[in-house]
Amino acid sequence: MRFDVYTPLLVSLLLPLVSPVIGRRVAPALAARVLSSAAVLTAAAATWSLVLLATALLGDAPPLIREAHQDGRPLADPVPEVIGVAACVALAVVVRRVRRAVRTERRTRRMLRRLCEGHPRDTELVVAASEVPQAFAIPGRPGRILVTSAMLGALAPAERRVLLAHERAHLRHRHGQLVTAVTFAAAANPLLGPVRSAVIFLVERWADEQAATDVGDRGTTARALARAALSAGPGCALNFAERAVTRRIAALQMAPPPSLWPAAAAVLALGVGAALFAADATGDLLALLSDALT
Amino acid sequence: MAGTGSRGRAERRSAGELESEVLAALWATEGPLTPAEIQTEIGGGLAYNTVHTILKRLYDKGLVLRDADGRRGAYRPAKNAAELTAEAMHEALDRGPDPIAALQQFVSGLSPEEERALRNLFAGGGA
Repeated sequence: MRFDVYTPLLVSLLLPLVSPVIGRRVAPALAARVLSSAAVLTAAAATWSLVLLATALLGDAPPLIREAHQDGRPLADPVPEVIGVAACVALAVVVRRVRRAVRTERRTRRMLRRLCEGHPRDTELVVAASEVPQAFAIPGRPGRILVTSAMLGALAPAERRVLLAHERAHLRHRHGQLVTAVTFAAAANPLLGPVRSAVIFLVERWADEQAATDVGDRGTTARALARAALSAGPGCALNFAERAVTRRIAALQMAPPPSLWPAAAAVLALGVGAALFAADATGDLLALLSDALT
Repeated sequence: MAGTGSRGRAERRSAGELESEVLAALWATEGPLTPAEIQTEIGGGLAYNTVHTILKRLYDKGLVLRDADGRRGAYRPAKNAAELTAEAMHEALDRGPDPIAALQQFVSGLSPEEERALRNLFAGGGA
């Protein structure tokens, strides 16, 4: 309990440090999967640790202390009161942040449903007659691809095929769910923010690689990205650091990165470790409390 | 550029995917297109009959219109639903970057330096 309970917090500090390295060296499909799994495990474990630390305050509750004193046994309280109180405050913040993330997610889904209104259900492509070059995948059953007429007009035929293949890859590999999961993880644990950014970038890279495979040409894929980005222009700067098109284009001009299983396994081990230590701390606390009560 | 890597791939694309490609081709072009023109535009060894079948399906769904006053047999995209979608999209964009930024966009903005670098890519790469 004394150390175990803090391990998830330690992992929350480590994971953001390793995620850029993993993102650069490991095949995007594998890197995105292990980083998001590790982030979800770590966020859950860290939140649970806060619950444990807050629960340990119960050890300071008067009835328990009285009983402990009656028994004549000193109560081994492993958690200083200050930390217990801090954990309560942190938990309140976590709850607020997660609730806000859930609300944002719901609002986005409602908006997406509205975008598809009036388009037949069994058609994959939803065109918006707009001068703003824009394209994104709309997750769901079935998933749809929204593209504006300006974006379609800006691309050559082969590049349009890249665009469609890229968005299809998002849908086929359920990137929406992956990003939502890691977004909730970062909401519950702000330390994991950089991991979320890394995963958001990696699913774009993953879809780029899949598009290059489907179209059979990395050069055309890179050109499609460049042309689309140029038509979008410098005006719309929606988190371009996270999705950095130039980095994606550069990656397509090199060979695809290998699936480095050992590195991926190490990342996953961090997340699993956080969860195991949190579970161990739970056992310790239960033993302690039952000890104090009997 | 379009052909070499993708020759013969058309047959492996599903009907739904081909529908998207035909619709995208129609929206990308300013004027109406005949099935033969669409066939050339899409490439990849797509049979004329296949293009025709896809156009008929898109027509039945109300997504494309037959060009009445133009050339016979030419098609153009139907705008109604697309305009409603554009309206909803602009509304969402105006409300703030949040909802759209949360999605997997194909590309996002560039910094001025990045834009210069990309223009050089086209100049040097012979696109």
